[in-house]
Amino acid sequence: MITEGPSKKAIAEFSELASEQQLRSLAEALGRNGVNVSLVGSGEEARDAVRSALPIGAEVYNNTSRTLEVIGVAEDVERSGLYQPLRPRLYQMDREMQGREMRQLAASPDWVVGSVHAVTEGGSLLLASASGSQLGPIVSGAGHVLLVVGGQKVVPDLEAGMRRLYEYCFPLEDLRAKQAYGVPSGVNNVLIINKAVAPGRMTVVLVNQSLGF
Amino acid sequence: MSMIDYDARPVTPQVVLVGQRASAAGYSIRDFLSRNGVPYEWVEADDAGRVEQLFTGGVDPAQLPLCILPSGERLGPATVEGVATGLGMVSVPRLSEYDLTIVGAGPAGLAAAVYAASEGLRAVAIESLAPGGQAGTTSMIENYLGFPQGISGGELATRATAQARRFGAEILLARRLVDLTKDGPGYVAQLSDGTQVRSRSLLLASGVDWRRLEVPGLNDLLGSGVYYGAGPSEAVTCNGCQVAIVGGGNSAGQAVIRFSRYAARVTLLVRGSSLDASMSQYLIDQVRRIGNVEIRTSSEVVDVEADAHLRAIVVASRGSIDRLPTDALFVCIGGVPRTKGAASVGLALDAAGYVRTGAELSVPADALDRWPLSRQPLPLETNVPGLFAAGDIRSGSIKRCAAAIGEGSMAVALVHQRLAELSGE
Repeated sequence: MITEGPSKKAIAEFSELASEQQLRSLAEALGRNGVNVSLVGSGEEARDAVRSALPIGAEVYNNTSRTLEVIGVAEDVERSGLYQPLRPRLYQMDREMQGREMRQLAASPDWVVGSVHAVTEGGSLLLASASGSQLGPIVSGAGHVLLVVGGQKVVPDLEAGMRRLYEYCFPLEDLRAKQAYGVPSGVNNVLIINKAVAPGRMTVVLVNQSLGF
Repeated sequence: MSMIDYDARPVTPQVVLVGQRASAAGYSIRDFLSRNGVPYEWVEADDAGRVEQLFTGGVDPAQLPLCILPSGERLGPATVEGVATGLGMVSVPRLSEYDLTIVGAGPAGLAAAVYAASEGLRAVAIESLAPGGQAGTTSMIENYLGFPQGISGGELATRATAQARRFGAEILLARRLVDLTKDGPGYVAQLSDGTQVRSRSLLLASGVDWRRLEVPGLNDLLGSGVYYGAGPSEAVTCNGCQVAIVGGGNSAGQAVIRFSRYAARVTLLVRGSSLDASMSQYLIDQVRRIGNVEIRTSSEVVDVEADAHLRAIVVASRGSIDRLPTDALFVCIGGVPRTKGAASVGLALDAAGYVRTGAELSVPADALDRWPLSRQPLPLETNVPGLFAAGDIRSGSIKRCAAAIGEGSMAVALVHQRLAELSGE
């Protein structure tokens, strides 16, 4: 059982912000993989980019994400009144009597907004989820996917990406989960997106700033 | 990005409400927030630990219920109107005149809002509590067309509200109609906060208030163990409790199903000799299958026992008297039509107070004495030209969600006829 955060070695390897050149190269790689990319300089610009992308009145599910909380996107989605946020709606529903409605709503929102745990220089995106509920919409359920990614999440390849996930993100998330929910986390489901095949469906807002885990 | 997303709770701060359980004001706010889908945390005023976390030095009982809004602003004593305003739910009418004002955003009103706005009419709906009306609190409507797995009333209301807004209908929340006057061929609706809404036609779809149960001392306990209707806000608080529900209709049946999942025991008290005449069969079948539910027919509440909160009810049943320890009593015994706000225009009502429309107006001899037009009233039109009624408030209506939706939709076609008449076409 992990009781501490990541090791010093993991922190040193996985918390460093990528260079501007690396981010530009990454943006090109993602573009070749079918992902629309918006390269911005700060969390504030990322928040503006999300606001520009989300249509007013859109049905939006904001994944649990430190990145989205830190830059204010979670608040924009849930509290601005501009969108139809699904989290408050799901929270009010009765799991037993409305379980099917909840699954349908959560699995196929018009828009899902979130982040990733790692992105390789070759343009592959890695995400993990303890319950798995956040992964399905990103893969195919949601109509549109918007991922805000801090520049410290860039890794050389998939092997490094998986290590970032297990050695850096998971310890941080495990600590957070115990504090927030009283239960540990788990790398129970892992998603790797190598290519986005539906044109225009997936957008990454790549930020030249360390955001989130 | 986080790896746990089990409960999908909102990540932004929510409303915190501090009060005493046996408080009608606290119940009103909880009910309002629940029905409007606003997540909140309820904190009992005597939960010293949590109160100290929120308010250093404790709280002044005179300020209860206290509300902490997501912005951090604190309201005390909080009211429904204050909380609604603080949450940004109280908007002003965008237009100086509308084609159609809809009083009530239950199924009939929401259907009218959708059709009116989608057909280009400038439409505004006025709702005192929450979109969805009585149907909005139903845990599962299983026989509404197009939903083979059923749909909750809340979800139906949420979708209908989004649909109405998408077409451009406005919905003015947390205010009720207090007066209605004629303004030439149109109307001016006066709302409880002083807002005035002008329109060329008007649809009354304000439904019914729960009929009061006339038992000595019972209505003094409103919010303190006695509730009219069975709103979702109290379900979780009835964990392990003894719950009694009075009524024989679908609302009572839905309430039984909802509360049976939390309460230790639910007793359904029905005045009639059976449920067959008043409750849909699928609900009767479900209710009968639930293990912690007892159905008592030919039974009535005749007395209550309470201190600051309800403790027991006394039930008369086929000549015998029983005392039932009861923590919460939900009364669902039908409705009294909400026509008070429109009283001054002289609506023709039936003997039970429901609004007469269309052919029903020919029944009492004097209903059309002041009818000014050469044509007869349109179906759903009242004895006042351009003023329509739909849903439960209407005399002779079928008290079902689908019927109300149908009438609200139908009313818009009639509104078009009226508007054409006003334009001299």
